[in-house]
Amino acid sequence: MCKIIALAFLLLPCIWVRAQHPGYKPVADLVAFKERFAVASKQTQSIKADFVQEKNLSLLTEKITSKGKFWFKKDKLVRMEYNQPFQYLLIINNNTVLVKDGQKENKISAKSNKLFQQINRMMVDCVQGTALSNPDFAITVFENTGSCLIELLPVAKGMKDYFKNINIIVSKKDYTVNKLEMYEQSGDNTIISFINKELNAAIPDALFAVK
Amino acid sequence: MRCLLLSSCCLLMFSCSSVYRKMEKTQADASCILQFKPLFTKALYKTTVEVTGKHLSGLLLLKTMPDSSTRIVFSNEIGFKYFDFEFSAAGVFRVYYILPQMDKKPVLTTLRKDFEIVLMQHLNLQQSFARKKDSTVYYGFPQPKGNNYYITDINCSRLIRLERASARKPVVTVIMQNFKEGMPDTIGISHTNFNFDIGLKKLKE
Repeated sequence: MCKIIALAFLLLPCIWVRAQHPGYKPVADLVAFKERFAVASKQTQSIKADFVQEKNLSLLTEKITSKGKFWFKKDKLVRMEYNQPFQYLLIINNNTVLVKDGQKENKISAKSNKLFQQINRMMVDCVQGTALSNPDFAITVFENTGSCLIELLPVAKGMKDYFKNINIIVSKKDYTVNKLEMYEQSGDNTIISFINKELNAAIPDALFAVK
Repeated sequence: MRCLLLSSCCLLMFSCSSVYRKMEKTQADASCILQFKPLFTKALYKTTVEVTGKHLSGLLLLKTMPDSSTRIVFSNEIGFKYFDFEFSAAGVFRVYYILPQMDKKPVLTTLRKDFEIVLMQHLNLQQSFARKKDSTVYYGFPQPKGNNYYITDINCSRLIRLERASARKPVVTVIMQNFKEGMPDTIGISHTNFNFDIGLKKLKE
């Protein structure tokens, strides 16, 4: 009987991992993964992609889907242009965020708000490949044959109140982001999938202008 | 000096008089406004909020749940939620979530009252009254503080606007236009006593 209980306890972490991220197992050699990830990130100077964003409202069993274009350029330059079912523009240029809604423009300094700063850094880290060194999160990495799942568990106040966990799913081919999954404490989640990715295309700096 | 005092008193009396009291009483049947009560089976609105010089935008989802309650969820375009409210079929208000920075009693009270008038809740026909002004009829419904007015043309065939009012004057003006399948295409909520406007435009799915 004691042996069965002991075996159950031994198997429990495996069952937990399977239930947590079906199809993924913990990365065996985290140091090697970090090295490969760092090398690949260094080679990625820019990303151009389309994105599909799904906001899932658990209690309402509703999904809000929006689509648009995405640009990233080193260092810390992100542009997200929503064009379906509404027009909306978000530019992250280092510590400045510009949002344009119709004719209205709003420029925000991420430094002015701690939570905004954390979200800003998380967004940039996810695409830039620096998420593994973000101190706002406890990080665990899982893998399957084609991709790696980087699980970020918020430890910083603010992020912790809002997010349960954030998963970054990167392709094993080039270590760029395929999917960003943000799970809220409320049970809702937002999933952004990046498709039609084009790496290291020439992207003019003007696309990230926040003046 | 006496003249100035007298004119000041007149001005004060004039400014304190109710804009509604002067209207002519009429026996119009208030139940006619129920035809304008929106039924938000499910609607997604592009939303802009102007509050004391600041601009906010996002998506507002309104949905009637199987228990006939109405859920209202407002999030920004990137998916971060501002609030998630419920109005039960009986009109009971419940907050599922509100951003900590917005979690203040005056904010919640203002939003609750604004959505109550849009959802046309607390319409007690026994207590209702009607007044006429030019070619419009004001159907009044007493609320704990002031009245909600639903203003229609003389035949009650068109909803012109809605007003949330103190005893003397409107404090919020609401328009709901271009109804399709029981849901307005455009909603505008404008506060008269401070700079706070909400604009909603229905998105095609």
